[in-house]
Amino acid sequence: MAQRQDMDIQTGLREVSGTGKKPVFSDVAIETIDLNFFYGPENRALKNISIQIPRRQVTAFIGPSGCGKSTLLRCFNRMNDLIPGAYLTGKVLVDGEDIYREGIRLETLRRRVGMVFQKSNPFPMSIWENVAFGPKVNGERDPAVLEEIVERALRQADLWDEVKDRLHQSALDLSGGQQQRLCIARALANRPEIILMDEPASALDPISTGKIEETITELKKEFTIVIVTHNMQQAARISDYTAFLMMGELVEFDRTDALFTNPREKLTEQYITGRFG
Amino acid sequence: MAGMNYFRQKGDAYIFTTSMALILSLGMVVFMIAVILVKGLGFFWPADLVLVEMKDGTRYLGEIRGKAIVRELNEMGEQVKVPEIKLRVGNRDLYGRDFLWVKKGDVLRIVREPDATAFEREEYGVFFGFPVALAGKKGPPDLEAMKEAHRQARKNWREIEKIQGRMNDLLRPISRLYRELSLLESRGGKLSPEEKQRLEDLGRKVDRLEAEIAPAYQQLQMRMETLEARNRQLVVTVQTAEGQAVELPLHRVIRFYQPNRMSVWQKSKYYCGKLWEFVSAGPRESNTEGGVFPAIFGTVLMVMIMSIAVVPFGVLAALYLNEYAPQGPVVRLIRLSVNNLAGVPSIVYGVFGLGFFIYTVGGTIDQLFFRSKLPEPTFGTGGILWASLTLALLTVPVVVVATEEGLLAVPRANREGALALGATKWQMIRKIVIPNATPGILTGLILAISRGAGEVAPLMITGVVKLAPSLPIDGTFPFLHLDRKFMHLGFHIYDVGFQSPNVEAAKPMVYMTALLLITIVVALNLIAIVVRNRLRKRYRTATF
Repeated sequence: MAQRQDMDIQTGLREVSGTGKKPVFSDVAIETIDLNFFYGPENRALKNISIQIPRRQVTAFIGPSGCGKSTLLRCFNRMNDLIPGAYLTGKVLVDGEDIYREGIRLETLRRRVGMVFQKSNPFPMSIWENVAFGPKVNGERDPAVLEEIVERALRQADLWDEVKDRLHQSALDLSGGQQQRLCIARALANRPEIILMDEPASALDPISTGKIEETITELKKEFTIVIVTHNMQQAARISDYTAFLMMGELVEFDRTDALFTNPREKLTEQYITGRFG
Repeated sequence: MAGMNYFRQKGDAYIFTTSMALILSLGMVVFMIAVILVKGLGFFWPADLVLVEMKDGTRYLGEIRGKAIVRELNEMGEQVKVPEIKLRVGNRDLYGRDFLWVKKGDVLRIVREPDATAFEREEYGVFFGFPVALAGKKGPPDLEAMKEAHRQARKNWREIEKIQGRMNDLLRPISRLYRELSLLESRGGKLSPEEKQRLEDLGRKVDRLEAEIAPAYQQLQMRMETLEARNRQLVVTVQTAEGQAVELPLHRVIRFYQPNRMSVWQKSKYYCGKLWEFVSAGPRESNTEGGVFPAIFGTVLMVMIMSIAVVPFGVLAALYLNEYAPQGPVVRLIRLSVNNLAGVPSIVYGVFGLGFFIYTVGGTIDQLFFRSKLPEPTFGTGGILWASLTLALLTVPVVVVATEEGLLAVPRANREGALALGATKWQMIRKIVIPNATPGILTGLILAISRGAGEVAPLMITGVVKLAPSLPIDGTFPFLHLDRKFMHLGFHIYDVGFQSPNVEAAKPMVYMTALLLITIVVALNLIAIVVRNRLRKRYRTATF
């Protein structure tokens, strides 16, 4: 197979090599090697996934419902551990470290790899308490530091101006879009390296969605973002790289513009042109 | 027929049946409460005192407390209806009974004498009669003078009681020594040299202490004798309907009144006083008169101790079952068993409480910490602690089930959210799950209170008594006496209503006590419900 030596013009990120349908990067945040995931012995949800997620880029996972994109995302912070009877084979490396090896501390991993869920899930506490939750459970007690963290996280999530006067009111009184941005701020308060987003805007109206997308674009300067979406326009708008999954297999992974304008695989083409899915 | 078919499909008949079932259940509850209210609340109203003169010359003084129609056979062998009047004649020490029935046909006339007076006494219940002399002075006494004499006599009597208490306080350190002394003496000559020495020491110590307290003791005794002599003068002579004169010592009279002279306003005042006495005073006359305060106190305290014991137990058990235990057939079996425990008859718990708490745990505590008092048991006998713990055991399944439901209702999204932020499982449970499950926990507490406050059977063998000499909380160290026996409203109903020698007099007390028990259970529940609803508002799940 011929070696590719392309340069990403926008980011300067070097794709070191490729098999023709998968870019390989010099600066990798997450890497999976031959990852297989089983919800039970009979139910194989991911099949031999090997993928590299580049650092400080937005990577989108697209694919039809049940293709395994959320499952793959939840392997990155081991949220799948909560499912009784599920197991996996292969490796998941975060910053080169195998996160499924013995003795890894889940709390440390999840602090480094934050997550935003499909349905916003603010805790029944005040806005301030919600954002401070992560730092607090991770041992931060100094009130001055906490104040600073909360403000910075809310500013990064573009929510500060809307809530600064009612930080101590219940988070449940916020609107849906605000609640989701609060959840983003909550994840940011832990100062993670990677943020996983599982269809973060699927339950929101177009205006709130637009705000979330703006926030994501802002955040990629500092964080590695992996986002699952079933909205292809959204993937095209905000992501740098896109992976297309189907039936638990990684069909194609490429730069977003390349994947959407010139897909190499017939399946990808059929999916993005809306012939199935 | 199409029409008939449609009628059947709509199921109107079934809908009608369901609504009737609901109406029937509600109706029975309303009816029961109405009966209790009417029968109970009417009891304290001071009825007029009537003098009933019979055709044969007998005279009765009393309150008309009911009417009835009795079927009898006349001389011709025909059934006739005979109206009868129920009279409360009081004066139990003279007549041996409080109530009697007279035939209306035998009554010559009924008059209301303004001088007729009712005396409520500490003993033998109420006395009806006409006062004829006060403190030796002949002639119908002035009401005000009688009131003044009564006030004086009661004051003296209260002082006497206080003096007796002080005398007991003086004697207390010696009485402990007396007991040890008599124990040693009872063994005759079979004593070791050390024990003989101890006996001599004790004897000397007792003599010395007796000499020490003698002056103070004698002074108290003299004062008491003076007061008693004064009270012997404060006596009212009362003539009964049939003309017998009886001397009533005023210090044994709680209150007296002349209902035929009282206005409605005065009667209401008297009524409120009686109602207050009922909830605030102790019982008299083997519980058929006076109040039920010790029973209220015992019931509430027992429910509180039970709640303190049952909530942590039930919540911890539910937390382990639901959050930590590996879900599988064993846990399912345990859960099923816990649910079934709620259906075990309460008397079985009572027997278990007697065997485990009282004999085993209490007996061991006595062996370890109260050795000097043995063979008299301290914790090795029924008491409020053991009764509360038995009830806690009885209600723990209710709390476990309700808490588990509360835990299951905590949104998965919130649990995942906490874990995804790097919280440990314990942090997630403490900060997210338990606060969210509090309404469920409180529901469990409400159900436990409802069940526990009304239970009587297990209490009867774990510490409830007909008449407790003292409350479980008082001013002597350690203030909360968990080893004491206590009174309970539920048991009070059973005891007064069905174990009392004077059933007729006790009947209104049963209604009143039932009313009070219902009120307390409802009040305790209401408090818990209000708290739960507040929490629910706080922890309502996120909505878009």
